[in-house]
This record gives sequence, C-alpha cells and structure tokens, in this order.
Amino acid sequence: MDLTYSLGLVIPELVLTLSGLVLLLVAAWGGNEASKPVSIAACVALGGAFFLTAPAVCAGASGPDTVAFFGQLRIDAWAGLAKLMIYAAAGAALVVAPAYFDRLKAMRPEFAILVLFAALGMSIMVSAADLLALYIGLELNSLAAYVLAAYLRDDDKSAEAGLKYFVLGALASGILLFGMSLLYGFTGTTSFSGINVAIADGLSGGQLFGLIFVLAGMAFKISAVPFHMWTPDVYEGAPTPVTAFFASAPKVAAIALLARLSLEAFGTQATAWQQIVGFAAIASIVVGALGAIGQQNIKRLLAFSSINNVGFILIGLATATLAGASAMMIYLAFYVAMTVGSFVALLMLKDADGNQLETFGDIKGLSTTQPALAWCLLLIMFSLAGIPPLMGFYGKLVIFRAAVEADLIALAAIGIAASVIGAFYYLKFIKVMFFDEPVDAVKGKSDWAHWALLVIATLVISPIAFLGTEWLGGLAEAAAAALATAG
Amino acid sequence: MIHTLAFYLFAVLVIASGAMVVLARNPVHSVLWLILAFFNAAGLMVLVGAEFIAMLLVIVYVGAVAVLFLFVVMMLNIDFAELRAGFIRNAPLGAVIALILLAELVLGVGAYRVGIIELGTPDGSAAPLLGESNIENIGALLYGRYLFLFEMAGIILLVAMIGAIVLTHRESRAHRAHQNIGKQVARRPDDATEMKRPEVGQGVEL
Amino acid sequence: MTEFFQSLGMNYEWAWFVATIAGILLIALPLMLGVAMIIYMDRKVWAAINLRRGPNVVGPFGLLQSFADGLKVFLQETIIPSAANKGLFIIAPILTFTVALLAWAVIPFGPEAVLADINVGLLYIFAVSSLGVYGVVISGWASNSKYPFFSAMRASAQMISYEVSIGFIMVCVVLWAGSFNLNEIVLAQKGHGLGFVNGYFFNILLFPIFVMFFISALAETQRVPFDLTEAESELVAGYQTEYSSMSFALFWLGEYANILLMCALMSILFFGGWLPPVDWEPLYVVPGIVWLLGKIVFFFFMFSWVMATVPRYRYDQLMRLGWKVFLPLSLFFVFAVSGWLMLTRFAA
Repeated sequence: MDLTYSLGLVIPELVLTLSGLVLLLVAAWGGNEASKPVSIAACVALGGAFFLTAPAVCAGASGPDTVAFFGQLRIDAWAGLAKLMIYAAAGAALVVAPAYFDRLKAMRPEFAILVLFAALGMSIMVSAADLLALYIGLELNSLAAYVLAAYLRDDDKSAEAGLKYFVLGALASGILLFGMSLLYGFTGTTSFSGINVAIADGLSGGQLFGLIFVLAGMAFKISAVPFHMWTPDVYEGAPTPVTAFFASAPKVAAIALLARLSLEAFGTQATAWQQIVGFAAIASIVVGALGAIGQQNIKRLLAFSSINNVGFILIGLATATLAGASAMMIYLAFYVAMTVGSFVALLMLKDADGNQLETFGDIKGLSTTQPALAWCLLLIMFSLAGIPPLMGFYGKLVIFRAAVEADLIALAAIGIAASVIGAFYYLKFIKVMFFDEPVDAVKGKSDWAHWALLVIATLVISPIAFLGTEWLGGLAEAAAAALATAG
Repeated sequence: MIHTLAFYLFAVLVIASGAMVVLARNPVHSVLWLILAFFNAAGLMVLVGAEFIAMLLVIVYVGAVAVLFLFVVMMLNIDFAELRAGFIRNAPLGAVIALILLAELVLGVGAYRVGIIELGTPDGSAAPLLGESNIENIGALLYGRYLFLFEMAGIILLVAMIGAIVLTHRESRAHRAHQNIGKQVARRPDDATEMKRPEVGQGVEL
Repeated sequence: MTEFFQSLGMNYEWAWFVATIAGILLIALPLMLGVAMIIYMDRKVWAAINLRRGPNVVGPFGLLQSFADGLKVFLQETIIPSAANKGLFIIAPILTFTVALLAWAVIPFGPEAVLADINVGLLYIFAVSSLGVYGVVISGWASNSKYPFFSAMRASAQMISYEVSIGFIMVCVVLWAGSFNLNEIVLAQKGHGLGFVNGYFFNILLFPIFVMFFISALAETQRVPFDLTEAESELVAGYQTEYSSMSFALFWLGEYANILLMCALMSILFFGGWLPPVDWEPLYVVPGIVWLLGKIVFFFFMFSWVMATVPRYRYDQLMRLGWKVFLPLSLFFVFAVSGWLMLTRFAA
C-alpha cells in the first residue's frame, strides 16, 4: 500500500484541493471582479471531480483495492456515489449563487472557494474509514459551512445563523470528539475495521458511551431530532443559495458517513444502535411533519421538511442491512434533486425589484401569474410529500420495503402514518398557489441557468425517471455492497 | 520518589486550577487559571516522557492561544451580575451535564484501574516506534502514515483563515494615505529643500 | 556534579537534588551580577555614542552604579495602587523575572556545562520565552490604569507577531543542525564556514536568517527601535508606570536577563556558542565559557549601538514588518533551507 497508489485513488480530492488553492490566489489578486470566473472555474473543478469519480461508481469498486492511506480512507463505490451527489449539489449552489449575491452587491470570489473546500471536506467524510479522517473531513466541511451561513455579514439574520451554527456545531464537534476519544481509549484503535473487531465480543460500558456520543455528534450534523433545533434558524437566516447547499450536500455526506460508521465500525453490535437510530428516525419524521405545519416562511418550512426527510432516510439505516443502505442511497439521490429543485424555485420567486420573496403570502395564485414555475414547484412538493407517480414516493417505497424485509414493520407503519401528516403542509402549496386570489407579487425574471436547474430537478423526480430507477438501484446496490468489504 | 512527588504536584495543580477556571468570578482570572492548568499538563507530559508534546503544549496553548484569549477577555466589559442570573436559571441543566461527565470520568478511572485501557492496537501490542526520539516518531508518522490527513488539517486552517478574512475584512472606501517606504528612503535632502541666500529686505520667491 | 556530592557520602537522590540546586545558583547569581554590569555597559555605550561620559561617580569608573541603583530601589517603599488587582499586580513582576531566569537552564556554557541537557532544548527556550508576554500583559491589566493597559495590548500583539518569525528562523537552524539540542547545534557548527569558521553566519542561506533573528530579537525583548510598550512619549512608562521599588526592579532585571538570553541564543545558533571563532587547535585551550561570554558581550554591544542610533518605529510599521516582511521571508527561508538540504544532504 504505497503512497503513490493511495494518491492515485484520491485524484478527485486532489483536483478539488489544487483548484481551490489556485482559485484562492486568483481571488486574492483579482478582487471582486474575479467572482464570476472563479465561480465558473470552481464549477469546472467540481465537474472534473465528478467525472473522475464516476468510473469507480459504475464499476462498483469494492474490496481491498479501495483502501487508501493505510486504511484511513476507502475510495469505494459507496463513497463514490455519495460524492457524485455532493459534487452535483455543490455545483448547483454555485450556479444559483452569483445572481443572488450580485443583487445584494455581496458577491465575492471566496464564496466559490469555500464551497469547493466544503465539497473537499465532504468527500473525505464519505470516504473516511478512520475516526481521524472522519473528524478532519467533518471539520473541513463545518468550518466552511459556518462562514457560508454568515456570508451576508451585514445582514442580522445571516450573522445570527452563522453564530448559532458555529456555537452549536462546535458543541456537537466536542461531543463527537469526546465519544471518539472514549472509543479510542476502550478499543485501542481509530480505524473502523479495528473498532469493529474490538467490539465483536460485546460492548463494554466505555465503548457504549463512546458509540452513543459519536452517534449524537453525527445526529447533530444531519439535524436529526433531538439535535435539530438549529436547523430552522440557520436555514432561514443563511443566504438562500447557501441554504440550498446546506440542505443537500452536507446531508448526503453526513448520512453516508453515518451509514459507513454504523455498518463498518459498529456492524457487529448493530442491536446496540438500531434502537437509537430508529428513535431518531421516528422523532425526526414526526417533529419535521408537525413543526412544518404552522410555518409561513417557505425556507423554515423547507428546513422542517429536511428534518422530516432525514427521518425517512434513518429508517433505512435502522434496518442495519445492506438493502437498507442501498435504499438510503436511492432516497438520497431523489432527496438531493427535490431539495435543489425546491430551493431553485424559491430563488426564482422575486418581486419586480429583484427582492427575494419567502412567504406563503407572496405566492398566492402563482398558477395564474407564473404557471410554469407554479407547476414545477407543485411537482416537487408532491414528490416531497410522496404522492405516488413521483419519485419521492419511489424513494419512500424502497426505504419501507427495506424496513419490512428487516422485520421493522412498526417503524415502517409509523413512518407511513407520519408521512400522511406531512402531506398536509405540502398540499398547502396547492391551495395557496392554485386556489387563492392572485397577489401578483412574483414578477422578477430569472436567467436560463435557474430554469435549466429547475427543469432538470423536476424531470429527475417526474415519472419519466422510473426508466432510470433500475440503473440507479444497481448503482446503489453495488455501493452498499462495497461497505464492509475491506476486511 | 521524585517522580511520584512531581506527578502529584502537577496533577493536584492541574485539577485545582481546572476547578478555579470554573469557580473564578473574574473571567481574566479564569484565563490565568487555565494557563496554569495548561502549564501543569505540560509538566505531566514531561513526566511520561513526551517532552515534545509538552513543549508544543506550552508554545501553542500557553504562548499563543491563551494570550489571545486573555487579550479578548481583557477587552470585554462583562456584567457579572447578569451572568450569574443566567447561571442560576440554567444551573439544573448544567448540573445534569456535569453529573454525566463526572460519571464518565469515574468510569474511565475505574476502567483504567482494572486495566481495560490498552494503549495499543486491539491485540494489545503497542504501535511500533519509527525513530529514536519522540520528535522523530511524531515526524515519521505525520509525514508518512498520516500525510494526507496532516495536509488536510492544513487546509482546515486555511479555510478558517479565509473565513475570518471574508467575514471581517472591509475595503475602506475612504482614501487612505499608505506609506511608501521605498519612496521615503529614496527621497534626498536636495528634493525637498533648497538653499537660498536672499539679500536683506528681498525675501524669497515661494 | 552529582558524583561530587555522592563522594561526600550522600545517597544518589540527595546528591542529585543538591547538585541541581547548586547548578541553579551557579547560573542565577552570576547572571544577576552580569545583568548589573551589562546595565552599566549599556549606559556607557550610549554615553560614548552621545559624546557624554555616562556613570562615573560611584566606584572606580562608575562601575558600582548599578549596585547603588539596586540598593536605592530596594530601600524604597512599594506602592500598590488602591484600584489595582493586588494579587496579580504583585505576581506580574515576579513572573517576568522568573521566566527570564528559567530559559537559562538549557544554555550550554561549555561541552558539559549545562544545567539540563534536554533533547528539546531549543523548543524549551521558545516555550519559556513565549511566557514572557504574560508578565507584561498581567501587569498592564492589573494596574487598572490606562497607559499600562495600552502597553499590555501592544505587548501581546507585538510579542506574538515576532514569535512567529522567530519560530521559523529556529526551524531553519534546527533543519541544518539536525537537532533541537543546543549542544548538538553548537557542535554542528564546528568548521562549518569554509572548513575553518565555527558558525552558521558564514552560510549564505543562514546569514539573512541571522539578520532577521537579530531584528526579531530586538522586537521580542522590546528594545529600541521596537520599545512601543514603554514608549515614554505616548505611554509614560508603559506597563511599568504604576510600579515602584523592588517590583519595578524585578521588571528591570527580567528585561535585561531576557536581552542577555537573546544575545546568548544568537551566539549559540549562529556564531558557534562556546566554540572559538575559528576551528584552530590552540584556540580550544581557552575555556568555552570565555568565548560564549565574549560573543554575548559583542551582541549586547550591538543592541546598545542600535538603541543609541535608531529612532522608534511607529506601531503600524512594527506590525507591517512582522507580518508582511518577516513572516513571508522566514517562511521562504524554511522552504529554501529544507529544499537545499533535500538536494544535498538527503539526495539519496
């Protein structure tokens, strides 16, 4: 396992790192005028990383060949599939950001660079097979995220979001580190496989505490209940393109990491954490569904929606089976499309002066004034609610199937019941957009890039995408099969 | 014997100053106690033969981080009465957390006494030494086995720096007179002064 | 020394203990004497450059002037301001003084003449000298008075800024010597320049570093032209404003002990420490400590010379020099030195 081979495996990460560093120099000398070229170059770098990662995903890379840097990283199909989603989501955030920040005269080239480094941190997270790599990736992602949340530094809400995210994130990191130190102390190793071997004969008290603390720290990062309190405030306060980014890429990364951690490091003691994850899943679904009902601000509503969706994804993890893991990947793929689509649609809600509109009051009767936008938004919301012909339903279906196969029927039943409650607030969109008196507030024009992203997202969740589910299912299955194969 | 004495001295001081960090009413005093705690922790490191880590602890934490802490805390004007009011409201929660952490510590110590903690790989053997001294060992690990993570830790620091600059740096709109040192040094007396010998009553042309 | 005390019939632990105490006293007491004399020398050098006579009344040639001053402050009343934070106000000068003495423990005065021959000697010095800032900061804050407080703010920013480049400069020397142990660093310089000059200053990559180290040492010890912490035209006497009597004297002694330490470090890192200037056999007859002291006095003369001739920097200029000139330059030299060593010493 020499260094050259390892470096060959992490070429996408190296591309991101080097392009981030070079663009930083460009930004330092180019000033604010360089914002646009830097954003485009960052998109290109993400695209490059995407296409460098894709072959390994299609080939379903697994086994000892995927181990890099003495077992600290695993560049397998699981990591690859998650990375593809992360790069796509980060790219989408970069595409919509310039228009948003330009209007506020807050566009600076560092935005794209921070997103690049956040994507780099997330790639390390999803490939992590060692507690050290896990923490380094997580911190790299988090630090960039804190800054992105406060990016509109003159805006009180944005600053509040950044500060809240930072303080609570630091607390979560502390909890995570405490758990990791306990795990290291009581197993004598930081590698996932080593921990798995060490706890195979049963958990000691210290190991159990370590496991719980690590899971709690991770739950904060994916904003699962009961560690979700920060989510609505941060999502509402952060600039909308940043919120779109937060709701998509880091979720994928943290969930993929959580799944690998649970299955590879704690796989032999699945019963110890299944209940915890199951509880977090149900609590997230219920809190997400109930919390969303009273919201007037669409961004806050989408925050609760993301909590709700994380709950469904955690059901897949609670099964502790590879089928559950593959279902999680499928759900995540559609979740990313829905999230990006809904936030792009939200960004397109602008008044005549270009100011962003964020409340239900502004989109009354949108179907008569902006029919195309209204229909796209409607489809995405139906998909989030899990209405049958759309792909959101398919995602929930595979998750529930995995749960039933793993004899977690109660969990699946509660999930289904809660998704009915959840449907209520998604349906509110129809009522407001199609049956209320038009207020004709949405007048601003959007550029082709927004429309393109919205249409792509809508197509991905539309029934047409059923043609691709078999292919996606195959990829997800290969990805899940790659877990726990390094030995 | 000296070893034992030194250990107890350092250990007692670490614990006492750690407690004082929390108990001190004046935040500046808290920071100073924290520095004492760092310092004694470094002493403990020396006792277990990790002198390099000890020195790093003093250089990085005591010499740089804590100075900045102190710098900030000294500048703050903290209203102690208000702080304590909030403290009482949150005290039960804090007490619960403290109890949990205390239980953790007791657990850790208890486990250590019965010998569960093994500082090595799962099979109980310690990590192989790569060099002769601490410094060589740490260097060989950081630049060999953990090279990638070490470099990424550098990127984390870079991101933190970018973040701090992005959030705080403002181009001032007003024109500021920047010092041009080259220009100042290149300036000769002949450029700035002129010798005149005016006739009495004539004055000089300006 | 431990063997000597053991031969007097003590068991090993007692002998070690007594030997260590004796070693500490053997360093600290001559150091205090040295500080007294060096203050006298400082004043004489300024006087000579200013075409004055300097102290010449107490004792022959005024040699006892410092002792008279010491006696004077010793007899004065210690005044503690009523609004001061009393505990910290008293601790601060003691801290400054103690820290200034601590670093001398690892300074080698000869091949064997070193109190603690530890393998992280240079790091130890760096760590201890980074503590020096606390004396200033605490005294400034505890005085509860505005000039000392400003001075404390300035001091903390200044010392942290220059510590960074001093750290990188030390890294360069350590890279070349291959050790953190000061004795080994000294020995590595034997015959370094053209095969007969003992010292790293004769190295084209390390000489610019030496110049940077000299300037950073001025800043680190808050000597002119970087004495902004006690700039009398702006801050009265800076952090010492509220101090009197022995507490003031402790600051004074600590300050000069620190300056001597920096001179000693320059001698050890770049000028071959206790080695003679050139690698010529007869010169080794002279004890190493004489060479080291000679070099220390030479560098102290340079310090005085600078003090007598250079005007004070402005604060922004000081920060600019530290962060925008020295930091990039010293980083570059770390790169250059390690690159050169990779090409030559570790090519295989």
